[in-house]
Amino acid sequence: MKAARDRAPPRRGASLLWLQGLLCGALIAVSISTALLLAALLLPGLAAVLLDREPGRPVARTVLLFGVAASAAPFTRYWESAHTIDAALGIIGDPMALGIAWLAAGFGWALTEFAPVAARLVLEAADRRRIVQLKAERTAYEEEWGLPPQEPAGD
Amino acid sequence: MAKPGGSAETLIAEQYAVDLARPLPDAGAGLPAYAAIDRRGGAAPLMAVQARSGAPLRARMIAALSGTGIEGLCAPVTCGPAPGPDGRMALFVICQAPPGPRLDATRPWSEAVVIDEVLRPVATALDRLQGRHVTHRGIRPNNLFRAVNGGPVTLGAAWAGPPAALQPALFEPPYSACCHPAGRGDGAIADDVYALAVTLIVLALGRNPLHGLDDEAILQRKLELGSHAALLGTERLPPLLGDLVRGMLAEDPDHRPTPILLTQPSVARSRRVATRPPRRAQWPFETGGTEVWNARGLARVIAHDPSQGAQLLRNGAVGNWLRRSLGDAAAATRIEDVVPAHADAAAGGPTGESLAVMRAAAVLDPLAPLFWHGRALWPDGIGPLLVAAAQPGPGGAADAAALEELISTEAAASWAALRAERCDVALVRQEARQNRMWLRLSGLEGGMPRLCYTLNPLLPCSSPLLDGQTVVRLPDLVPALERAAARPEARRLNAVDRDIAAFIAARSDTNLAHELVGLGNGSGEGRMAMARLRLLAQLQDRFRCPPCPTLARWVTEECVAPPNEWRNRTRRRQMHERLDALIAAGWLPALVELVDDAQAREADKAGLRHAEEAVRAIDAELAALATGAGRRTAAARRLGHEIAAGGGLTAVVAAMALLCLA
Repeated sequence: MKAARDRAPPRRGASLLWLQGLLCGALIAVSISTALLLAALLLPGLAAVLLDREPGRPVARTVLLFGVAASAAPFTRYWESAHTIDAALGIIGDPMALGIAWLAAGFGWALTEFAPVAARLVLEAADRRRIVQLKAERTAYEEEWGLPPQEPAGD
Repeated sequence: MAKPGGSAETLIAEQYAVDLARPLPDAGAGLPAYAAIDRRGGAAPLMAVQARSGAPLRARMIAALSGTGIEGLCAPVTCGPAPGPDGRMALFVICQAPPGPRLDATRPWSEAVVIDEVLRPVATALDRLQGRHVTHRGIRPNNLFRAVNGGPVTLGAAWAGPPAALQPALFEPPYSACCHPAGRGDGAIADDVYALAVTLIVLALGRNPLHGLDDEAILQRKLELGSHAALLGTERLPPLLGDLVRGMLAEDPDHRPTPILLTQPSVARSRRVATRPPRRAQWPFETGGTEVWNARGLARVIAHDPSQGAQLLRNGAVGNWLRRSLGDAAAATRIEDVVPAHADAAAGGPTGESLAVMRAAAVLDPLAPLFWHGRALWPDGIGPLLVAAAQPGPGGAADAAALEELISTEAAASWAALRAERCDVALVRQEARQNRMWLRLSGLEGGMPRLCYTLNPLLPCSSPLLDGQTVVRLPDLVPALERAAARPEARRLNAVDRDIAAFIAARSDTNLAHELVGLGNGSGEGRMAMARLRLLAQLQDRFRCPPCPTLARWVTEECVAPPNEWRNRTRRRQMHERLDALIAAGWLPALVELVDDAQAREADKAGLRHAEEAVRAIDAELAALATGAGRRTAAARRLGHEIAAGGGLTAVVAAMALLCLA
């Protein structure tokens, strides 16, 4: 059993989680106000990271990207100030800044939910068009060469 | 070429018209004859002699003598079909018309007149014929003509039927008189000399010396007594004429004077070969109530009934009689030499008996013709005999079967080998082998019809398809078929039946052999129909026949499969359209090019293969699309997520850009 354990490959996800934890810890240790501000602004994205279990976390990825995009302006404002706890709490307390960041994250989530539906509709339309085209080609061959029609499927 | 009937006048060889309103009684010497008109204005009076149905013309003689204009002879000019007096097509031989009525044989002619006005001119004409290696075989008083005011006689026509077919036994040597009238063959010029001698006797006596006897009785009398004694008996002729006639009636044709010698009667008289009468036995050979006194008579008796003759040969009766009564031990020994092998075979069937009897008869009488199953014939008479046997009537089938057996056993070659000194054995053997080959040739182009047409070059095609039409030459066949195609009952049959195939094979060269073989090789109706089309197309092209739209439709109806073999429907439709156009044009070679284009047919097959592959690919793709919902959903989800991520990234970049600008 010991030998088997020694031979088992290290889990990449676990090490990544460990690294993320280390970075977060380091950030809190260096600047707690910055960590607090980022956590507040990117809270939907962080929640999506925890909830999205799909490979590659497509939902979390999009929510985070939109959240980052919307958080860029308040974070810049915080960074150009004294970047103290007060400044961070001031921005966090600004409903406009927090609302925009969270709305952007929500928009990212909505986009990940509806974009596949739209893509499916587009692909289905393309396939239907292709089927019509193929059947027309087959009919032309049948008429030109006297070939038998296609047998109905599933009989 | 004869033009089809109707209002237009029928011309033979595009030049000669038969004037049916002006019959020439007696001019045809037994055959109907009419005045003929040369539309190009020839000066010589002409007549048209109508051939009997089933009596083939003498093609070699007509070809050899056409346009020769031999003096003292109604020489043939040409021949061809024309409507007869009953409206049906018949074959006519156009020849020079006689100068006057036929000879009057009811009063005695003086020796001088007989020699100067009959013997000399006829001998001169015969000499001309001999120079062209042909014979007349129709010399008798009712076929000799003389102007009303006298002068030399003219030999009548003898071209519109088999040689000597109309000759009574009186005017023929025994070896010819015993044959079937159609099987006497061309013979030799010596046979004409014999007939001339009998004619001289009849004229000198002013009557038939054997009047009242039928042909069989005349033949028996000639065999028993010899021709001279049988004909003249106690009658006396003037000395010169008597001596000439004695030589001319010699039993052996080699002993008769030649025509050139007869033109100088005094010389011919001095060079007369003395011949002995046939050796007479001490007592007769009796069988079946018949008595014979010499070997020739015995040969005919045993040959008349092969079964009985073979028995007489096997039990030694013939040999004993030859030795003891006739005193001819050499003949008896020779018969024993040639017969035993076949006598054993005789127990097995009539073929062996006939072979044995044929050999024995050839030994007994080297002058005799070929005896086969009780029938006598000369090998060069097989052609007309085949035609005669094919005519409706009693005994025809038996005659045809006997002739078929004669040819298939090459009996003529065996017969010739036994009388090598009297014939060209190699030639007879070669012809016998050739005949056998044609007979055994499989397919439509072989067999008895092929043999009939080959051995009778002017025999009209007897196909039932050509009902009422007389087609003698190959160029006339396609136009005749075009007319036949107008009859619905003919269209139910194939356009090239066995008779037509054999006719084409006999009249054409080897270039058509491939198509002829394809007519009946059992390769399927479609291929045979194509072979028929190709064959008729070649004929039309080669002889530049006029367009034949009705025949084209008839033949292409049989070839309906080839257009439908095309898989490309557009090409098939185009084919049918072009086919209709070409049929209307009536040019068969173009039709062949259309339906027999191998390259286009191969391209069609390649196109079909390509279409099948394409359809298989389409079916596979359609099946994949029908079962691809899961794959499509997964792809849509993946694509949607990528689009969303791309949007997010774009938003980040845009935000950064805005901050930088601010």
